[in-house]
Amino acid sequence: MRPRTQGLLLAALLSVALALESAQAKGPGHEPLPLPPPAGKDAPGLPPLPEVSPRNASYTIEVLFDPEKRTITGSLVLDWRNTSDQALASFPFHLYWNAFRNNLSTSARGVGRRAPADRMKDERSFGWTEVKSVRRLGEVEEDLTPTLSYLNEDGNTDDRTVMQVRSSAPVAPGASARFRIEWESRIPHGSVGRAGWVHDYHFIVQWFPKIGVFWQGQWNCHPFYTWTEFFSDFGVYDVKLTLPRGFVVGATGRLESKAENPDGSESYRFVQEDVHDFAWTASRRFLERRARFDEAGYPAVEIRLLLQPEHAHLGDRYLEAAKIALRTYGTWSAPYPYPQITVVDPAWGSGSGGMEYPTLFTGGASVLAPPELQSPEGVTIHEAGHQFWYGLVANNEFEEAWLDEGFNSYMTSKAADRSLGPEAWGRRYFGADYGRGARAGWPFVAPGVRISRGSESLPGLRQGGEADVMAKKGWTYRDGGSYGLNSYGKPALVLQTLEGLLGEETMVKLLRTYARRFRFAHPTTEDFLATVDEVTGGGWRSYFNETFFSGDLCDYAVEVKSEPVRQPAGFLPGPDGTPAYREAPRRGRAKDDRRDERFETRVTILRHGEVRLPVELRVEFEDGRVANERWNGRDRWYRFQYEGQKAVRAVVDPGRKIAIDVNPSNNEWIANERPARRAATKWAARYLFWLQNLLELHTVVG
Amino acid sequence: MLASLRDGGRSLGLNWGLVVLVLVTNLALALVVAVPLAFQLEAELENRGASSAMMYGFDYDWWSQWSERQQGPETALGPELLGTGFALKNLELLLKGWLPAGLFARGADRPPVDPLILALGVVYLVLQAFLTGGIISVFRRPRGGWTLRGLVHGCGFYLGRMFRLSLLALAAAGIVFAANAPFARFVDGLAREAVSGRTALVLTLGRHALLLVALLLVHMVFSHARVLMVREERLSALLATVSSLGLCARRLLPAFGQYLVLAAVAAALIAVFALADSWLTVIGYRSQLVALVLFEAFVAARIALRLWLLASQLELQRALAPRP
Repeated sequence: MRPRTQGLLLAALLSVALALESAQAKGPGHEPLPLPPPAGKDAPGLPPLPEVSPRNASYTIEVLFDPEKRTITGSLVLDWRNTSDQALASFPFHLYWNAFRNNLSTSARGVGRRAPADRMKDERSFGWTEVKSVRRLGEVEEDLTPTLSYLNEDGNTDDRTVMQVRSSAPVAPGASARFRIEWESRIPHGSVGRAGWVHDYHFIVQWFPKIGVFWQGQWNCHPFYTWTEFFSDFGVYDVKLTLPRGFVVGATGRLESKAENPDGSESYRFVQEDVHDFAWTASRRFLERRARFDEAGYPAVEIRLLLQPEHAHLGDRYLEAAKIALRTYGTWSAPYPYPQITVVDPAWGSGSGGMEYPTLFTGGASVLAPPELQSPEGVTIHEAGHQFWYGLVANNEFEEAWLDEGFNSYMTSKAADRSLGPEAWGRRYFGADYGRGARAGWPFVAPGVRISRGSESLPGLRQGGEADVMAKKGWTYRDGGSYGLNSYGKPALVLQTLEGLLGEETMVKLLRTYARRFRFAHPTTEDFLATVDEVTGGGWRSYFNETFFSGDLCDYAVEVKSEPVRQPAGFLPGPDGTPAYREAPRRGRAKDDRRDERFETRVTILRHGEVRLPVELRVEFEDGRVANERWNGRDRWYRFQYEGQKAVRAVVDPGRKIAIDVNPSNNEWIANERPARRAATKWAARYLFWLQNLLELHTVVG
Repeated sequence: MLASLRDGGRSLGLNWGLVVLVLVTNLALALVVAVPLAFQLEAELENRGASSAMMYGFDYDWWSQWSERQQGPETALGPELLGTGFALKNLELLLKGWLPAGLFARGADRPPVDPLILALGVVYLVLQAFLTGGIISVFRRPRGGWTLRGLVHGCGFYLGRMFRLSLLALAAAGIVFAANAPFARFVDGLAREAVSGRTALVLTLGRHALLLVALLLVHMVFSHARVLMVREERLSALLATVSSLGLCARRLLPAFGQYLVLAAVAAALIAVFALADSWLTVIGYRSQLVALVLFEAFVAARIALRLWLLASQLELQRALAPRP
């Protein structure tokens, strides 16, 4: 090849590389907005922060993990205290993994992740838990195994995700009981649920027989429905894991000890006080990174990150996102109280991404991860954020999922928006979405397109918001999509709207009060509403009636009509009082005449949706005058009238306080028609360009 | 190979008007949909605050609720058309078998683009089949130069043959897609079971790349067959295809090498476009005009590449033909 040709080719390659690099959708760096300082333990005006939880369900667990057979053989001692005012003789336990036992379980009969279509590939896809024995310990030991039965509140007698045992000696109110349970579990393969294994990666969650919660006068121990989550009591977890050498192990809590056993295995002992669950993971491939969150006003937290090797380049982003959550959530609710947190980067194809457990959570990332798409940042902030709601406040996720997911989604978008800026719009090509964070493909980030806080949930709300009342038991929604919308997106928008209407300061005080008062306390929606009344002085019940307890949508719009002030014409009283005909004066063409012309402007706010909220209106006039109005939003429409210069702009909800308005684009009217024409030709030209290229591409196959 | 590219480029340079002609046909078809879209957008944005946001940038809220209400070809308007997204979107449509007319697509409930757009694609393909014979006959002349009348005469003269070749080419593409389907399922299965996301990424991107190469190889054979039919005045499309197959097999390096060079040039074009597009701030009519010129220059360059390939293939065949 001639040198000149070589040089041309090299120049071409370099220019390609440089151009692609320059043309990537890089926005300007985002400066995080300032945060108020976190509220300390004894902050004035706020409830005191409880130091310890009730600790009424503590587990000491020993487990032998066999990665060859994919089994867990376990033995646990449960120290349980009856915190109710009733003597109790029957005790239900969750056996979550029996949801993966076959296609007859309650969750398998639904549509979604654990449904048969996802699972019935081969034998290894199934898992189970078999309880070998249940004994009540104490002065007189009692074998409860013969009393073991399965509970099926939904009538599905094939479901074995809830077992019950009965004791001949009821546990009195305030008294304690100890149970020993021996069991064996088989770990399911793949993305059947959040628990499972792929290759040497094992993610072990909801894995031991877990006692239900005696709550509101009865046992609360639901079967594992297709898309519901969990509910359990707080206690101390002391867990000894024995497994072959060579694994990197992560778990809830602190590593208390690690021992090498004579048979070549290793035993890890993890302990954590004041949590309501225990999760662990083991893989030979994990890379470990550590960081420390240590900022003024917050307790120090050691962050341990377990990364997949192909995501090593994302380690800093994972760690920074975890710190963002600890910082922002700690300020807006109450600081994270545990000394450590473990972030797990899930293995490809495991289906374990995007999930939370006490002091341990999973993120999710792709090898190609443009920062503008905020992945893994978004999922990391979200799952770390769950520590503050699911982990510490611990509401009943079966029955009121939004108290965790909705609160967390609200805070995630706020934290991400504040710390990282608005998310870009992107998609992936030439790959497939295998679910729960397993996305291959080449990423594309649309240059200059940003999704403002909360907007990502509006399409779902428009399309499916009316299907269900937001506040209902998790398994009673129409489908998984409705569950997702009403647990995540809609409550997040409701809270964002509440923030807009109350103001940032009051909202922070509200959330801090709620988080502190109900730490470790299993609150309900009513508890939250009562806190709202307390902090705000009341009057917000109707707001929640229209949002939480309804499937109605909110949509305010504005219409404007501006006409020259009517000049008198026709028969009018003459000078002598008798009717005299007056012709309508011609409109002056002179610029001065038009400038002096007076207009009558009618601005109508329309309520298209059923949700009624007070709204603000801003009207701007040609002469610079601005009118700010308020309306209670209750009727179908309300009209404001003005006389003077023409209106040039009218906006209902100018501050975008009403985030739950499903159609913000009809909130603003402008007089100027030029932008519409220019925008139309601009985007039609872009469309033309795409289509021309598509037509030309046809010649490849024809 | 490079000599044939050089000579082909020279031939194209002498007949640059052909590029303009093809560009006009391309533009005319695309305007059929784009012009009504412009009117529709203006009506929808009139007096809306979003019109300002769309003029200066992109209003995601307005677009998301607007696009939900659309049913026709306007559904394709979205953020994925920005920057180099148009190229990725179109390439994905090609590799998923949607071109032309969804003939080779499998397993999808509904097409990702409106049937009207797919129909326009078919019309464009027929138009190019009509034009190709005439274009090659222009390149065949040693001194270049053409008239519209002469071109149309040539197009009509070779239309039947070009049309038969196009059908054969479609059939061959169909075979490629049919063979690709089980291969794709196999590779996607491997990707799903891969130990790492990186392996899965390589597998999925790799199988798409292989499909693209296979389609280009088919294109190479049939493009040479078209040239053969005009250069040697062949009558049988099937025999011309067989001859072309033999030629490409014997001279794979120079034949496919042309494609590699042109692909590199195309990649450079996309990069330059992406750079220019990112620098350009399109708001008012003046900047929109500059953008339009950039767009049309890019499309013209793409068309030029295709015609350059045709001319280069003609020169390559001439160079490889046995001396009398």
